[in-house]
Amino acid sequence: MAAAESPNSSRKVVVHLRATGDAPILKQAKFKIAGTDKFAKVIDFLRRQLHRDTLFVYVNSAFSPNPDELVIDLYNENM
Amino acid sequence: MDICSSWDGTLSSSDFRVAATTLSKKWKVINPVFPPWTWVPCPRRPFWVASSDSEVDGYLSLENFYQLSSNEVGHRCSIETQALNNLVDVLCSYKSSPAKEELVNCGKEEPVDNATLVQSDDQEMHFYDFHIVYSNSYRVPVLYFRGYQSDGQLLALDEIERDLPLNSLKILRESKWTFMTQEEHPYLNRPWYTLHPCGTSEWMKLLFLGGDSQTKDGPTIQQQYLVSWLSVVGQAVGLRIPLEMINNSCPLYPVNSVTLSNEVND
Repeated sequence: MAAAESPNSSRKVVVHLRATGDAPILKQAKFKIAGTDKFAKVIDFLRRQLHRDTLFVYVNSAFSPNPDELVIDLYNENM
Repeated sequence: MDICSSWDGTLSSSDFRVAATTLSKKWKVINPVFPPWTWVPCPRRPFWVASSDSEVDGYLSLENFYQLSSNEVGHRCSIETQALNNLVDVLCSYKSSPAKEELVNCGKEEPVDNATLVQSDDQEMHFYDFHIVYSNSYRVPVLYFRGYQSDGQLLALDEIERDLPLNSLKILRESKWTFMTQEEHPYLNRPWYTLHPCGTSEWMKLLFLGGDSQTKDGPTIQQQYLVSWLSVVGQAVGLRIPLEMINNSCPLYPVNSVTLSNEVND
């Protein structure tokens, strides 16, 4: 699994997106996102990339985070 | 139980009991201020239901979970609206509609007839009971819930919807697998609201197949099942599951990636 990196200065998190089920595979699988952004931003990004209104997005610990969780919290909680 | 591609996302009734124990233990540690999830044994079963395993009969119950309604919710809604504005703005297909504004103002413009009613406080408490019941036909957990006022009067669906965070409403309206209906509670035989379980096994399977980094030391699917399940279902009814529930006490799977899939029930 790709690890998210979090340089102290910028506190950016690298998110590795993986498709399961019949979801289309993205050409670019890794994206950098500010840790202060909410998980909703990831969902929204995917929604635009895939042109789908309904998505099922979750982290690979079999957990579906609340959209208003911060990305950095997800990163820290799953270290 | 290893995750293999043949697993269909369902749970046996005895595994449900295992998962229920894990959930209530974790919940107690992480959310000590909230009401606990407790197991309610129900030995009385309809005579036509054969049950070989009587200790499994029962359901998981969290009661008297309270939420402030009326102005408090209106206030909360407006905060959440601001937080969601970024999201809403960027969504090309979603523009803020009058309906959303109306929702934000809910509770503020309701006329109060002082002559006929004992005027209740603006910040009326709404209490919620949540029950997790095992469905023998779908072989998955099913959420039943009801809301009531402090005087015991049950809430109608539109009143419940007003208590929900905006993103829950979005989930409920956009996702076919979480639609709410009112059905008879399998043990209490009274009408409760429920989220239909028809898609549950499919998205549960996806949820667990996403994690390919499981270790032997980690919790089994049986143990983790209800926590994972509640992380999805709780969002639909505004019951927030803290992130710490993922990896409390034992280091679970390393989770730094996001897996995505289309909604399973197209």
